[in-house]
Amino acid sequence: MARVMNWQLGREMSYWYPESRPNKQFAAVFDTNKCIACQTCTLACKTTWTSGRGQEYMLWNNVESKPYGFYPLAWDLKLLESLEGGKWTGRKYEGQTIFEQAPAGERVLGWRPESQDYAYPNVGEDDCTGQIDGGASMAMPHMNWFFYLARICNHCTYPACLASCPRGSIYKRPEDGIVLVDQGRCRGYQECVKGCPYKKIFFNPMTGTSEKCIACFPKVEQGIQPQCFVNCIGKIRLAGWISKPENAKPENPIDYLVHVKKIALPLFPQFGLEPNVYYIPPVHVPTSFTRQMFGPGVDDAIKAYRNAKNDPDLASLLCLFGSSEMVMPRWKRQGDTVSGLDEKGNTLVKVPMNEPVHVRAAYDKLYQISRTNCP
Amino acid sequence: MLRFRILAAALMIVAAGCSRAPQAVNEVVSLRVSKIPDTPPDAVWSNAPEHTAKLLLQDLVEPRLAKASTPEVKVRSVTNGSEIAFRLTWPDAVVNDVPEPGRFPDGCAVQIPRVREVDPPEPQMGQSSRPVDITFWRADWQASVNGRPDNIRSIYPNAAVDHYPFEAKSLEPGSAAQREMATRYSPAAASGNRRAGPRDVPVEDLVAEGPGTLSPRPGAGSRGKGEHGAAGWSVVIVRKSPQGLDVRTRTQIAFAVWEGSKQETGARKMRTGWIPLSVREAK
Ligand code: SF4
Ligand code: SF4
Repeated sequence: MARVMNWQLGREMSYWYPESRPNKQFAAVFDTNKCIACQTCTLACKTTWTSGRGQEYMLWNNVESKPYGFYPLAWDLKLLESLEGGKWTGRKYEGQTIFEQAPAGERVLGWRPESQDYAYPNVGEDDCTGQIDGGASMAMPHMNWFFYLARICNHCTYPACLASCPRGSIYKRPEDGIVLVDQGRCRGYQECVKGCPYKKIFFNPMTGTSEKCIACFPKVEQGIQPQCFVNCIGKIRLAGWISKPENAKPENPIDYLVHVKKIALPLFPQFGLEPNVYYIPPVHVPTSFTRQMFGPGVDDAIKAYRNAKNDPDLASLLCLFGSSEMVMPRWKRQGDTVSGLDEKGNTLVKVPMNEPVHVRAAYDKLYQISRTNCP
Repeated sequence: MLRFRILAAALMIVAAGCSRAPQAVNEVVSLRVSKIPDTPPDAVWSNAPEHTAKLLLQDLVEPRLAKASTPEVKVRSVTNGSEIAFRLTWPDAVVNDVPEPGRFPDGCAVQIPRVREVDPPEPQMGQSSRPVDITFWRADWQASVNGRPDNIRSIYPNAAVDHYPFEAKSLEPGSAAQREMATRYSPAAASGNRRAGPRDVPVEDLVAEGPGTLSPRPGAGSRGKGEHGAAGWSVVIVRKSPQGLDVRTRTQIAFAVWEGSKQETGARKMRTGWIPLSVREAK
């Protein structure tokens, strides 16, 4: 194994291949506080990419209600158990990653989901055991809260799927860091399915090969955000490019949210893959839970997020989510307007921080009729 | 060279002692026959000497097989000069022929060096510039050849499918537009990689020059047939005879067995080292 730098862990770690970062890395920020679990993203992906035979069970994008929703069943708990949660000292990860904990003869520490594990894509959906007048009928480890976790492939810097494949059938594109399965080379060993801790690569029994989220690369190549981003009802998603922390550019929206303001955090960084989908953690969930899920930056992230009302730059950038179908590699605020820009600085979209408010009188004098809210 | 002489001597000893069939032989001896049998129960097999090959763990590359499973495979072979056939028999209580997430089919393979050499290439998948030819049989392909329908209900009998885009009413079945739509949602098939789906033979011809280099060898034209019974699997694999193999020469052969129920797949397999392979005229 090679030694590579994983900035999310604040240390070097072991990986199957030497460090080789792409020229550009596809990345995203998801604001969990805005997701309404409408599953429009899930369906947008499903109808675009996985409507074929053998793909019936596949959700390259899924949204699960935490803490009790999983797809596949218990995907995160199984590994957390093996890693004993993962131990941090400050911002440095002291525990073992799935590469460092690989058993003898294995490339990574993994487990194999079976068909039944995919059969309950969001068990416990909307289960909230609090606020019941007579009290809850049973005690659960997590009382009184839930939140929605939208998940796609993380197009990891150190993909476990890629490291697991003994044939080298999985590759990370140098031009955008998108991780793909070579469908002409895959022989369906399912080692990648076993290795990916996020379980975002799937075996197709009708083609006999493994398939995964492709970050809608045909769209990204044209500067357009993927399907699950542009169809998001809650406007929780922003796609773009991320730099290494030492090269962070404040004019890059992803860099600003992840590296400058540090309000968006990786999902289970302790697994060691340097995942590239970043989450603004839910503000109402006990941080003992979210710290395990998003790492030690959670408390600061929530503080900065809550302070957005006093931070016009941050507040304005949050208005850019879901404002354009184009990827916006740059941004700028002018007064109370925020603009998404292309690489050359041309304006792609302009968004006011405060939408004008229109009040419609309950009685329409012109037509002499009362207005109702019915459609 | 020394090894060759020892092997030749061993063969002579074996040959001297085999007046009755089937004999146990300590190498794979292919009996000259006029007609190659295509099925495992064919009577011709009873005349062929039997070699019991000990199976070892795949222990060269990760992922390795951690725990030994199938202990040995019994091999008989016949040849008509242009083709050579092998019958591999090994104990396996349960048929695993449905690939699913976390489930793998039973399988077996025969490996022979491309070039006949006294000092053969690495026994585990050959080595760079020294290819090995492999013929691979899989239980799910056999099920497909035996007539299992190519649809999701043959894997999940209770599956409910609302609609596939390529079954839209507007697309005439079998039309170019319909086929294009079906291919769009089947990327492996679109790139010519037919790991699953309907097929005429349950075997695949491959070539390797070291672990991780396995590639298709189109046009090699091998065939086979596997049957499962109380004793386990019995699989016939028929391929072209290795170049230059006749009663005066010899080459090497290796076998591999995958036990689906133990999640054996790809590199996770039981395999043999090289075993000498020779041809003997029928008495
Ligand atoms: S999330 Fe899983 S499938 Fe996606 S790149 Fe990372 S390891 Fe591979
Ligand atoms: S479309 Fe957006 S709001 Fe709806 S479930 Fe998906 S991520 Fe959440």
